[in-house]
Amino acid sequence: MINLVQNEMTKLVGKRRFVVIAVIIVVLLSMFTYAQAKEAESIRERLGTVDWRTELQQQIVDMQNRLSSSGQWREQIQIQIKQSQYYLDNDVNPSEPGAPTFIRGFVQNSAELFLPLLVMIIAVDIVSSERSMGTIKLLLTRPVSRFKILLSKYIALILSVSVVIFLFGSLSYIVSAVMFGNQGWAAPVLTGFSSQGGELDISGVRLVSQWQYIIQQFGLAWFISVVVGTLSFMLSILMRSSAAGMGTMLACLISGAILSNMVSSWESAKYLFMVNLGLMDYVSGSAPPIEGMTLGFSLSVLAVWMLGSLLVSFTVFMRKDIY
Amino acid sequence: MHSKRVRFITVFALLTCLLWLFGLGWTLKDYMLGTPSSAPLSSAEEDQVDETGALKIVALGDSLTRGTGDIEGKGYVGYVSDRLKEAGKEISLINLGIKGLTAPLLAEQMKEKEIGRQLGQADIILMTIGGNDLFLGGQTLSDVSEASITSLEDAYLLQLQTILDGVRAVNTEATVYLLGLYNPFVEFENGELLSGVVRGWNFKASELLAKDAKTVYVPTYDLFQQNVNDFLFTDHFHPNEKGYALMAERVAALIAGAGEGGQR
Repeated sequence: MINLVQNEMTKLVGKRRFVVIAVIIVVLLSMFTYAQAKEAESIRERLGTVDWRTELQQQIVDMQNRLSSSGQWREQIQIQIKQSQYYLDNDVNPSEPGAPTFIRGFVQNSAELFLPLLVMIIAVDIVSSERSMGTIKLLLTRPVSRFKILLSKYIALILSVSVVIFLFGSLSYIVSAVMFGNQGWAAPVLTGFSSQGGELDISGVRLVSQWQYIIQQFGLAWFISVVVGTLSFMLSILMRSSAAGMGTMLACLISGAILSNMVSSWESAKYLFMVNLGLMDYVSGSAPPIEGMTLGFSLSVLAVWMLGSLLVSFTVFMRKDIY
Repeated sequence: MHSKRVRFITVFALLTCLLWLFGLGWTLKDYMLGTPSSAPLSSAEEDQVDETGALKIVALGDSLTRGTGDIEGKGYVGYVSDRLKEAGKEISLINLGIKGLTAPLLAEQMKEKEIGRQLGQADIILMTIGGNDLFLGGQTLSDVSEASITSLEDAYLLQLQTILDGVRAVNTEATVYLLGLYNPFVEFENGELLSGVVRGWNFKASELLAKDAKTVYVPTYDLFQQNVNDFLFTDHFHPNEKGYALMAERVAALIAGAGEGGQR
């Protein structure tokens, strides 16, 4: 079994996908860090101070002004205002300058779309490419069960997802540390906000160190990526063409991003996997896309989808005629 | 076939996989089992903000302070700061204006800790408040009875006093500039009547401010008296960029004048 997994890993490394992914990450990172540095500069210029409290207070007032003219975003903004106010009242800087803060924001924003996209690059042709290239026959003529072959592919996929997340984390650390400096790992982060019915519940709020928060974020990001990876894995078995699999998965992810913004009245949409990818939002405390969704709920929905697609993958792969 | 490199990558991948699993597990423990693994909130240490030499302006109030109606979104506050910057002053500016704010709401806002801290640091406080208290979003236009105006006025003056007391409680030094009201409805049916009301309102507010030597009442009524539509935004209520520029000119001149007088 270990040999089979290593065999799969050799194929993945041989395809140089990790290099492609690393390059994509670095290019995006340099753009984002540059943009953020510019933004910080312009805020300093506008307010004429480096005091974060002044900056945060100004943000709160700006949000309060947006409240009157923003119909459907009202609740979100209200929660954001209350959260910022809580930071302010407790004297905690929500954006302590430094690499860790940048990483925190970057993971938060990438977990729903960018990281899954990177994972798709690996997952989407893991089986279908063997079929389009014909190598699957060689693989299946070996004296190993089909189950084991598919399992080794799946394990290799999970390992690769972990490596991708690691690449993502370490590269963003290197780039942002150069840009913003290394300080702020122990800076406090407020977490445990939950929002119910447009009200911010602060009963569970507590302080954690930023490094701890980041590890937890990466844990969630990893889970999201594994789920998306598993679904792409299934598509890669069901569909002969990698492009079709990629397109389908991409459509799902993007529709998820759009749906999350507009499904608040369509309640059964909460069982769709793509609406549940915003796991990070539960930890940071913004309002869920649909009333009543919680971290536990989303995790279970995702887990069910993952197990379902695994079941489909294995049954189809073991019964399918390969020609 | 299984080169060392691949073996290394596989082992490494396994380790990272375990690390992320650990992170996921930790999250589950913290957020779902309700056993947070950290100390409860302790107040963080107060790091002293180094006072720069900049002139600190805090702007409080309603949509006029926010700059509603100005294409550039600066409002008179932005133009005042621009003018002072042109004059070579270093400015630090925070605009706390909120659209639709009335005097009671402003008094409420001032109770916030951070607002108090900002006011405490201020050298200059700019304020517009009262427009929403008097005009009630245009409602007053249709009902200009003396009784209703008087009750609005009394309530407003009481709140204004509270606001000024609130400012002085945290900052005895800063100069407060309160911009008066103008009549946006001059050319309307009841405009004449309302003009009288606005003048009376402004007079009482300025009387109230006169009790404190460092509180300056800045009239705006005259600025909008003639050709009012040239200086108003399309909503016929808020000033446009020309109107704001006029207001800013006046305030900037007052601030610059006070500076030359040797106050700072």
